[in-house]
Amino acid sequence: MDEDIRRVTGIVLRAPLTHRTVRELLYCGVGGLAGVIGFEITIAMLAVGLSISVSIVGTVIGLLLLTLALRVSGRLGALHRRLAGWLLRYRVEPAPKFQPGTGILNRLDRRLRDRAAWRAVSYSLVKLPVAAVQLYAITIACIGLVDITYPVDWVLFRNDTTSPMTVVFPFPFIGTFHVYGFAGTYLAAIAGVVCVLAATWLARAINAGDRRLLRGLLGPRSMSERVSELERTRTLAVEDSAAALRRVERDLHDGAQMRLAALAMNLGMAQEKLGDDEHADHATVKELIDAAHRNAVDAMADLRDLARGIHPPALDNGLASALATLAASSAIPAAVTADIGTRPAPAIETIAYFCAAELITNATKHSYANQIKINILTERTGVLRLQVIDDGIGGADAARGSGLTGLAQRVSTVDGRIDVSSPPGGPTTVTVELPLTA
Amino acid sequence: MRVVIAEDAALLREGLTRLLEDRGHSVCAAVTDGDALLAAVGEHQPDVAVVDIRMPPTHTDEGLRAALAMRKAFPGVGVMMFSQYIETSYSAQLLEGGAAGVGYLLKDRVANVAEFAAALERVAGGGTALDPEVVSQLFRASRQRGGLATLTPRERQVLALMAEGRSNSAIAADLVVSGGAVEKHVASIFTKLGLPPDESDNRRVLAVLHYLGSPA
Repeated sequence: MDEDIRRVTGIVLRAPLTHRTVRELLYCGVGGLAGVIGFEITIAMLAVGLSISVSIVGTVIGLLLLTLALRVSGRLGALHRRLAGWLLRYRVEPAPKFQPGTGILNRLDRRLRDRAAWRAVSYSLVKLPVAAVQLYAITIACIGLVDITYPVDWVLFRNDTTSPMTVVFPFPFIGTFHVYGFAGTYLAAIAGVVCVLAATWLARAINAGDRRLLRGLLGPRSMSERVSELERTRTLAVEDSAAALRRVERDLHDGAQMRLAALAMNLGMAQEKLGDDEHADHATVKELIDAAHRNAVDAMADLRDLARGIHPPALDNGLASALATLAASSAIPAAVTADIGTRPAPAIETIAYFCAAELITNATKHSYANQIKINILTERTGVLRLQVIDDGIGGADAARGSGLTGLAQRVSTVDGRIDVSSPPGGPTTVTVELPLTA
Repeated sequence: MRVVIAEDAALLREGLTRLLEDRGHSVCAAVTDGDALLAAVGEHQPDVAVVDIRMPPTHTDEGLRAALAMRKAFPGVGVMMFSQYIETSYSAQLLEGGAAGVGYLLKDRVANVAEFAAALERVAGGGTALDPEVVSQLFRASRQRGGLATLTPRERQVLALMAEGRSNSAIAADLVVSGGAVEKHVASIFTKLGLPPDESDNRRVLAVLHYLGSPA
């Protein structure tokens, strides 16, 4: 029993000296400030947006403001997530990316019904009281640190020994008391230690609550949302594989099958010429056999291309060497840097490979780039990150039904993400994030 | 024999042209899509048209649709479908108007030049030439229908060869039996399928159509 009490007391007293406490208090300060500012921005935009949209004239502007508020909340949510990850080492998977529809009304409608954005809004609103406590905690901590230095201050910096020193003491609310003499400063120092201890544990408690809010409101969606997301991506996966099979059939039909038919026809004609008269026309027969030979060679090339399109053999040696092979055959000079720790699942490697291939093709077709950079690395968080960067003219837009949409769909079937940054004038950076296992 | 070819793969189009011209036939036109086929047939009035099924613009079944339109507009011109795959529902449609002057061969068959040319000549002359693969697929599709179930395996074999457009003597040679035996089988098929005696060769076509499950 005594043992336990001593142990707990030890933990309580030593806590302020840990790295974790420093991070938690820093989070209270930065996160609290961000929370207050975020709350004000959000509430202002919501209030203006809602009040304008009540009047008939303002409906459109109001709704636009609302969608803007939703977008801003999403960004704020991302900021909070990042702060928590950085300072609290608490990582929350982001909610899935907004899927814009086509057409203005459809877009607007989907924005307004984007649950993830509304949850981000509610986080911004709920964060205010949390932020108040967090800011209180960091304030107490600062006051405590100042109070602890009083004995030293008294000795070193005190010129006028007659007047009392004012000590700030934050309990129950921020107030002051005075000390007269050196002995009194020890009282101030003790008050400082109490403040630091209190701030430490208050910060931990409120941050624990904040973590729950982060996970609940800024994290991956509720189960039903997850299910509908899975349904959507499953449809995409099925459609994708059906389309791939169709493509294979079409390629076979127009390629190898056709060439083999022509080959058979040439050989058939040659056979007939050799068979039906003894003085066969050698030149004609040779010409027919030459054509047949050409068709056989072309059919083999077609089949090889097709097989490579189904599964690039270079992938068997890992993504790095497959990408190097791919880069070597690119029309625009391409350089690969790879840092792959744990090898991803084969399905993920295949997706990453075809993403890279498609992105290189895109860059070659549209970007007028001189140089392509391909970076691939696995992160500690279990994410495979593929980046294809070109120094071309930019202006690629995932929403405008380019090949990027298809990529985004394929990537979403394994809960991956794709991010396109392509300002007019370039450079274009496409980042694909995939989980290591499908 | 005067022929129009509709085939979008240049390699095969040229190969077919050469094959036919080598054998002394005349290729009036070699086109690459359905509309051009109809125009060329209208212009040249050939004996037969060789039609690929998948052609531009959609690369699905334009050949068959063009062939159906051609059958309607120019009933006298034979149609030889020429494809890498078998499409039973469309071929049944094509045979609906009568199996005379209709053929359907897989592209594989072109390897045997003489047989291919013979089949084409048969179709040009108002006969039938169905690929054995096509026949067996159609047979599978129509197996459930009545009448055919009463045929013996040998009779079914004979009927399948009839569907390919073979004459009795050719069937006899193929099955290594006497001509008389084939005639006996054919007569039995007619009886079982309820086709009355008829002076013309029409019963053969009717039997084949019955076999293919399309209304005569």
